[in-house]
Amino acid sequence: MAEPAPPAAELALRRRLPPRLPRRPGDVYVNMQTDFKAQLSRCQKLLGPGGGCAEICIHGLGLAINRAINIALQLQAGGAGALRLAANTSTVPLADGLEPQGDEDGRPPLARARNNSAIHIRVCRAAPPP
Amino acid sequence: MSNAREKKRAKKMRNQPASVTLSSDCGPCPSGIQHHNGGSRSFQTPKQDLHPDSSQEFQQQRHQHQSPGPSYRKEQYFSKGQGRGRGGWRGGRQNVSQEMPKYITASTFAQARAAEINAMLKAVTQKSSNSLVFQTLPRHMRRRAMSHNIKRLPRRLREIARKEAEKAVHQKKEHSKNKCRKARRRHVNLVVEFNRRQKKNIWLETHIWHAKRFHMVKKWGYCLGDRPTTKSYRACYRAMTKHCLLQDLSYYCCLELNGKEEELLKVLARMCSIDTGPTFAAVPCLSGRLQGSLVLYRADRYPEDLLGPITFIWKPKDGSGITSETRQLWIWTHPSLKQDILTELKTVFQCSEPVETCSPEPIVTLLQEEKQTDVAMIVGKKRKREDNEGEKAVPVKKIIGDGTRVPLESYCWTSQTTGVVISDLTMEILRYRLIGPLSHCVLTEALKTASIQTEMADAETELNNWWVENCKNSEKVSLHQRQEAIFELLQGINSPSEIAAGTILGLTVGDPRVNLPKKSSKAMPNPEKYQGKEDLHRSWSCAQWKPLSNHTDDPDNEKVRQLLLEGVPVECAHSFIWDQTICKNVTENKIPEQDLNHMRGELLVPGSQLDLGPCESKIPILLVQQPGKVAGEDRPGWGSGWDIYLPKGWGMAFWIPFIYRGARVGGLQEGLKHSEYKRTPHIPNDFPDCPAGIQFAKELENVLLEKFKRRPPAKRANYVKLGTLAPFLCPWGQLTRDWEVRNKAQEESVVTSSADSKSGATERQVPCEPKPGLTIEDSQGDIMEEMAKIQNLCKEDGAATSSGFFVLRNRKLLKQLSARCRPTCGKGQRVRPASKLGQKEMTEDALLSIFKCYPRVLVWVSLSLLRKGSPELHAMICIPTQEDFLQLNKDQLFCGPQEPKHSDIFKHKILKLKERKKKKNNGNALESGASDALEAKAVEEPKELILGLWPDPLPDVTSHCSRILLGFVTQGDFSLAAGCGEALGFVNLTGLLHMLSSQPTDKKGLVLLRTPASLQYRFARLNIEV
Repeated sequence: MAEPAPPAAELALRRRLPPRLPRRPGDVYVNMQTDFKAQLSRCQKLLGPGGGCAEICIHGLGLAINRAINIALQLQAGGAGALRLAANTSTVPLADGLEPQGDEDGRPPLARARNNSAIHIRVCRAAPPP
Repeated sequence: MSNAREKKRAKKMRNQPASVTLSSDCGPCPSGIQHHNGGSRSFQTPKQDLHPDSSQEFQQQRHQHQSPGPSYRKEQYFSKGQGRGRGGWRGGRQNVSQEMPKYITASTFAQARAAEINAMLKAVTQKSSNSLVFQTLPRHMRRRAMSHNIKRLPRRLREIARKEAEKAVHQKKEHSKNKCRKARRRHVNLVVEFNRRQKKNIWLETHIWHAKRFHMVKKWGYCLGDRPTTKSYRACYRAMTKHCLLQDLSYYCCLELNGKEEELLKVLARMCSIDTGPTFAAVPCLSGRLQGSLVLYRADRYPEDLLGPITFIWKPKDGSGITSETRQLWIWTHPSLKQDILTELKTVFQCSEPVETCSPEPIVTLLQEEKQTDVAMIVGKKRKREDNEGEKAVPVKKIIGDGTRVPLESYCWTSQTTGVVISDLTMEILRYRLIGPLSHCVLTEALKTASIQTEMADAETELNNWWVENCKNSEKVSLHQRQEAIFELLQGINSPSEIAAGTILGLTVGDPRVNLPKKSSKAMPNPEKYQGKEDLHRSWSCAQWKPLSNHTDDPDNEKVRQLLLEGVPVECAHSFIWDQTICKNVTENKIPEQDLNHMRGELLVPGSQLDLGPCESKIPILLVQQPGKVAGEDRPGWGSGWDIYLPKGWGMAFWIPFIYRGARVGGLQEGLKHSEYKRTPHIPNDFPDCPAGIQFAKELENVLLEKFKRRPPAKRANYVKLGTLAPFLCPWGQLTRDWEVRNKAQEESVVTSSADSKSGATERQVPCEPKPGLTIEDSQGDIMEEMAKIQNLCKEDGAATSSGFFVLRNRKLLKQLSARCRPTCGKGQRVRPASKLGQKEMTEDALLSIFKCYPRVLVWVSLSLLRKGSPELHAMICIPTQEDFLQLNKDQLFCGPQEPKHSDIFKHKILKLKERKKKKNNGNALESGASDALEAKAVEEPKELILGLWPDPLPDVTSHCSRILLGFVTQGDFSLAAGCGEALGFVNLTGLLHMLSSQPTDKKGLVLLRTPASLQYRFARLNIEV
């Protein structure tokens, strides 16, 4: 193509799911669609007597980082000092699919890479439950 | 007398002589009075039919006959008897008593009585019930096994019983089970029987498996599994979202086009439009990397005359880029659309001549088979059925094409001018669909890539000869290894939605039956396979999540990243499945299940892995990624998965291994739910403008109407009262027409009103858009150009457009509409950035003028309910009024307004008709000739008038109810994926624009939904997802 076509005009951007590892029972991926209370209670249940998890990992990506931190702090506040937090941050590479809207050539890449911040908070019991 | 009793009586009296008449030549009649006296009783006998207790009457008359005394005595007797009778009789009696005869003539009287007796005798001898003779016997005379042995009956009844028994034998069909069970279950006979049973509706290769576990339906010439017999609605949903759902889509039809690339593209471009998205010429699809999907139209008829949606795959180019080489193109269609598309393709490519040279298989193989086969040949050319149990070497019965086509017809056509060859590969290639995030795991566990093989196992067989040939070429071996490497990499990806939509991966795999696990288990992802193997445990287990980017030094990670970003390279899309001869070879040289089991039995260590070595079949397959939910903002990539294409004959060999890896199987219903949760139109339900869709709607209407009519009127919904004009069918044509009329009327009123009010209205609307001036300068020209083009197009098609409606599929316009439907302030503001993607924000007027060109257009919308309620099929989408919004503002829990009850104006009419009919039936004997006209009328009318349904010429559908109708729902249910009621349907474009222009900004896109059998409206949010 002679003219440098503006990519946004020809391509539609579709966000793909972030890569994730297979989920263990103690993994909680925080999102912004589910109610905050529900996510908090889910963590509490996992850590609680019948939950069967000595420690859980709360993962938050992008916008959900705030919420992940919030959940972890709420857990700690409600845990009466029995819970310990260990936070880790990372960068997650994401891929956005690019869909051509027409038949024009130009060899568009199928995806565009971008990075996003993520947080992983390990919540574990400080002492074995009485 | 109650209706039921009357009916019962009518049934009982059916076989009674209708009227007993005295023959006219019964002698001279001295006087009228005498005759009247004598005959009066006899003429009244038929009228007595209504009398409930005929036996009593019978005795009375017999009594009369025995003692033909003076008439007054008789009348007295009668009056006594009839005192207990019904009121209807009384009048007659009074009449008779008034005209007390003074004398009677013996001869006439006797004759009249004789006629009566004759009639009665006839009635006695004639059997009135349809029970058998021995059933009429009183209980104490019944004997065991009477029905088998006539001699157990009383002698007087034997003759009748004998006749009855003979009749029963005649009526019985030819006994099919004349063979003993063992003979019937013999494999050869079983195959014959199976072949006979699939003559009309073709069975898929997994039919037997399905038939044991599914409700089967006969559709589109196939026997298909509708839904599992077990309770599995939720389980199937969970499989779709969390694990893997397997579907047999082998009934989809494949049409192959062979020809020069330019030739194909040039002609195919006439059948689709760039407006609806990428076409056949889209670069990634054309190279063979990606699968494409589009909607086909009749040549040069866009946007009308839809043929249907298809998916297509180009065979990747073999040689270096010479554009004029012959290319192979597969078009996959739904069987209900196939005939239309095939005929259109044939006419467009001028392919009318059946190719003899190209299709030697059907005829030659048939002949060969007929020589070889013993029994199966009688059945005709029917394919051999594959069974998951042991199967003997029954000659392979090849079937070409599906059940909808005439046998012996050619399946391959060519054209002299262009050299394009169209062939119908239906049922040649099997297609399974795996839906769900763990379909990777199922695939990678079930399939093992073929090992390199350089020498033949046996010189005589043709087994794997193609593969040996291939392995001699080092380039191809390296290609195979690359494909293998990519397939291995798939294990490290969590969900199919992470890779590019429509990715194609060709592969050659070994026999999946060899490494079948002993027990079925659920395939789970293996963390070992994921990126960064050595430090995975460290990072993952203690939440020190090391991002993928930190491992760039790891070669595996780099590869996964590359796969995610760039997709599968073009070369790796190559597969031998494109080659017909190889496919045929693979199908014919399949090791039967029985032999395989035999070999397993001979293993030294029972239960150890079977190693076939060079004898193991190699099967070429094609893996195609299916994008899940792409439109919309929530749940991206939901329901994504893989399609696997296999050569025929290998169906069960791949099916069972998948199931042993924990894939759950779904039928047609699950497919429907999948597309509903994905919010994509389902074929053919949601294509009301294509012939298959119209056909489908008609069939659905008949089914629903029959179901409705089966219920008694008091126990079914009265749709007239509910204000539902069309509960079983969406009257799209009338809806669009009514809106057009409405629109015209409005325009006229606007024109007549003062001009400044109009401008005021537009000014009021403009602030609705926060950035009306955002229009990009250079793109404005494009829009104008496009607008002019569309207007021209509409003018050209003006005449045709007036006849019907079509669905808007122009992506640009849909995007504009979609941006317009969103609330522009308040809660929905976060959604706003999407309009940045839509960029070209048009001014209101420009957009309106474009859409004015489409007077009869429907738009595909998705609706999600705000609060309660789950929508149903054919629910109505209506425009809320200002008062509804006011109430919604006042009360957050406001569910929705109620429709006032309508009055059933037809009920009276129906009742009257019924009355007339009843009267006619009663008076049938009296005035059979005179009632002819009435009868004809009565027969005609009830067909149209069904209690509770509006008769055919519907009134204005838009304004029938208190809320203006916008459209109808074609799929609707409680969505397990979204957690609220969701619906998909079409609305009229004119109506939609009308609604949007009058709605407040924060309430944009709110509509009301009402199910056909309810008066309650519910609020729903309307979305257009592109």
